[in-house]
Amino acid sequence: MARLVLQNLLRHPLRSLLTVGAVFIGVFLLCLLLSVVTALNAGVDAASSVRLMVQSSVSLFVALPISYQQRIAQVPGVESVVKWQWFGGYYQDQSNFFAQFAVDPEQQLEVYPELEVAPDVKQRFLARRNACIVGEQLLAQFADEWKVGGTIPLIGALFPHPDGPEVAWQFELAGTYRSTSGALDNRTLFFRWDYFEETTDLEEAGVFVLRVAPGADVSRIMAEIDGLYANGPQKVRTTTEKEFQRQFVTMLGAVPLFVTWIGGGALFAILLACVNTMLMAARQQRHDVGILKALGFTDGAAFRLMLAQSLVLCLLGGLLGVGLGKGTEAAFVTVLGTFFPGYVVTDQTVALGLGTALALGLVAGIVPAWTSARLDVVRALRGT
Amino acid sequence: MSQAMIQARGLTKRYQRGGETLVVLDGLDLEMSEGRFYALMGPSGSGKTTLLNLIGGLDRPDEGSLVVAGEELSGLDGAELAHWRARNIGFVFQGFNLIPVLSAYENVELPLKLTPLSRAERRKHAEYALELVGLKDRMHHRPRQLSGGQEQRVAIARAIATDPRVLLADEPTGDLDRKSADAVLELLGRLNREFHKTILMVTHDPHAAEHAGSVVHLDKGQLGRIEHNQPLAAGAS
Amino acid sequence: MLIPLGYNLRSLWVRRSSTLLTVLGLGATVTIVSAVLALQHGFQSMFTAGGREDLAVFLRPGATNEGDSIFRRDLGARLVNTVGEIVSDAGGPRASMECYLAVLARKLDGGETNVPLRGVQPRTFDLRAGELEIVAGRRFTPGSDEVIVGESLVRRLQNCGLDDVIVLNTTPFRVVGVFRHPGAFASEIWGDLERFMPTLGRYGPNRVIAEVQPGTDFEALSARLEGDKEVPAKVLSEREFLESQTRVFSTALLTLGRVLGLIMGIGAIFAATNTMLASVVARTSEIGILLAMGFRPLPVFVAFQLEALVLGLAGGVVGGLAALSLNGVETGAMNWQTFTEFAFAFRVTPGVLGSAIGFSLVLGLLGGAWPAWRAARMKPTEALRLE
Repeated sequence: MARLVLQNLLRHPLRSLLTVGAVFIGVFLLCLLLSVVTALNAGVDAASSVRLMVQSSVSLFVALPISYQQRIAQVPGVESVVKWQWFGGYYQDQSNFFAQFAVDPEQQLEVYPELEVAPDVKQRFLARRNACIVGEQLLAQFADEWKVGGTIPLIGALFPHPDGPEVAWQFELAGTYRSTSGALDNRTLFFRWDYFEETTDLEEAGVFVLRVAPGADVSRIMAEIDGLYANGPQKVRTTTEKEFQRQFVTMLGAVPLFVTWIGGGALFAILLACVNTMLMAARQQRHDVGILKALGFTDGAAFRLMLAQSLVLCLLGGLLGVGLGKGTEAAFVTVLGTFFPGYVVTDQTVALGLGTALALGLVAGIVPAWTSARLDVVRALRGT
Repeated sequence: MSQAMIQARGLTKRYQRGGETLVVLDGLDLEMSEGRFYALMGPSGSGKTTLLNLIGGLDRPDEGSLVVAGEELSGLDGAELAHWRARNIGFVFQGFNLIPVLSAYENVELPLKLTPLSRAERRKHAEYALELVGLKDRMHHRPRQLSGGQEQRVAIARAIATDPRVLLADEPTGDLDRKSADAVLELLGRLNREFHKTILMVTHDPHAAEHAGSVVHLDKGQLGRIEHNQPLAAGAS
Repeated sequence: MLIPLGYNLRSLWVRRSSTLLTVLGLGATVTIVSAVLALQHGFQSMFTAGGREDLAVFLRPGATNEGDSIFRRDLGARLVNTVGEIVSDAGGPRASMECYLAVLARKLDGGETNVPLRGVQPRTFDLRAGELEIVAGRRFTPGSDEVIVGESLVRRLQNCGLDDVIVLNTTPFRVVGVFRHPGAFASEIWGDLERFMPTLGRYGPNRVIAEVQPGTDFEALSARLEGDKEVPAKVLSEREFLESQTRVFSTALLTLGRVLGLIMGIGAIFAATNTMLASVVARTSEIGILLAMGFRPLPVFVAFQLEALVLGLAGGVVGGLAALSLNGVETGAMNWQTFTEFAFAFRVTPGVLGSAIGFSLVLGLLGGAWPAWRAARMKPTEALRLE
């Protein structure tokens, strides 16, 4: 039977190839879209349960007085607090987009244990005033221009250099970090708070990130911190890391919906193409099926033959699709990394891709399989 | 003396089949007169269909000369052959080969579209051809609404619509029952007798061959005997 | 001599199920690509609607959007009084200072989003007299803790109805009016500059807007002001400013549209080729008889190519009509450049439809090319099985 299936498929090589090609493209697109959705949710899924974020209740863009840090640190259950300020600068050209933050160096490493730095990198980071560490992927992107020990010039769009808006801030690259969780990507530049504060004279931070003791009552801590500043000067909003990340995802609004619709539409188009091909194949093979039945093939066997043909083509296309999806993963990470830093082709995506191909094969093959099973031998042989 | 419509000299045609070369026509010499109805017979593989193809300009000989309706076919390229076919040949096939989505009238009109005739003139010719074969009242029917015999007669109407010099028929009655076959053969006979059409019909049915004026036998790519059912015009061989 | 088109059209009809499936497949591709383009059009045109050439936007040099920009209060005032191109009337220079902040808001459906909050001076309303219209309630009273909200926010955000209270930091602001604007402002909350600045802890406005004399050369003005020692500023016309704010999102959508078009297009071409190929194979004897009759390969090629084009056209029409049903459908998205949500509607323009149909025709053409070539290259003797 397997040989028969293969024979039939190879008899019309172009048609089989085109069908495989159509499924291949569809599944590849599906992988792409699913991976983008994964990227969008990466932060949420990987959020730590022992980290909380404190931000202004009004806006992401309103900074909080740095005096808050000490009081927050004193709340029972809070182990360490680091302050972050979004720098919003750019390297050479505005299109070279990546995140930059001013942070407390030591507390940063305490609050984010998944941030791995080599001991010598850590030492340089703590020793040099204008030192910075960058994520592995970021250094890889600018490998030709950035060297450990050298300087990275950044134009401060949000915080211009006191000497003039065209004057670049100079940061010394202490080394790279690697993040082992999805909560932090490998494309960020972290530099030292003291350098930021003395250059800008500002005493405000955008967000405080704190780590709580394991087993601590998170809701109690959140309520207590919010209560500290209920009457000002700047009201705060404490959220879990998961909620904080989710806030960015929901802000995307309809984007996940678009992605779903597009994926659905593409699959629909592919399904139609597959059904069409299988129906055409069945039509063309009526005579052959008639002969097989005359030779003793049962209706059930004819059914399985048609279905097998459909499944083989679709699964092959599916395999190629997920194969290409996985194969281009690295390329897309580089290209889309700016907007979707968490882009990754997970096993789940691969499984879904293959599953879809399988489903396509089944749905497309069912009608021709059924008509072949019910085919009247005499009529098939007569050619009517 | 009747003009030679078809003149073959040393006609050779070879085919490649699975790495081997088959010689289908082997230095054939043949002459066919204008205005005669020939049956071409021979065992399977004798090259009769191949000969028909060559005479009809559907294929080119490997060696030798072939003059049909005054034209040396071996010297023509594909485009010229197509042009020549349109003006000189009418085909009738075993499988009728009517275009199923077109009506009988539209099928017959099709070869006329290759001529410079106007729409009205085409209409005249097509209707005349259909009337000749006795199917004018069915001219708007689709092939599937016609019987096998009727389809073949429409095919014949299509073949004669442009008034070609030669009518080539390949097993025209192969797919027909006895009665329809006879009707088709009588029609061909009439076309030959009344309109002096030169007809070459490949057949393996001796009964069909009886309708022809002469029977040419082929064997292994070479000319066998020629029988004449009817006397030739004086002076012809 | 060409083969009559009726032959091809009827052949498509005879193989109805195949034709239909192919057309639907092409249609789905066209709809999706059109939808993305319609989204981009809708976003771009609504955001930039009302962008004026006679209104200048002054930002801090180096700022890429309003959020980045800030002026010291006194310097902002000096700017207004010293730039000669600014038009004046009986009330003084027709200029106004505005502060801007993207604030957190809760959506009616439960999610969160960022909404632009704009603190304006009374002069802003003079400048916007032709564009901005109060449709419910009234303007806020200067000096009071009142706000007016853009129309589209009423349906989307919590606490944005008339008489609702929005709390900024620790200060409650009452919604006293709803306004309409053809462009980006319809998704904003407006209040008094003098009240917003202290509430939000700002020391100055984010930007200055001013009416300028007709024919003002913005580039020259900007170049002159950027080097100014006292009040350095970057200047753009409002239209150019709005367009610059849409660039990233628009480009992203257009790129998405093109990538999708390419990927799905290839899939659609495969599907079309498959269909046409099966058709050609099934009609081998028809092709044979046409060639035997004397039709040249070129008319055969053209005939089948036309058949494929008809598929493409049908797919384009079906897909275009489906996309048309999206026209006017409201949606919202985050403009990544300003990081604020903006409500707009799909806009299926004639351009979008034209592109859709053109795209589909190309798909049909490319899909049908190989089968048409196959058909044209048939040998009549093979096609008619005369060997």
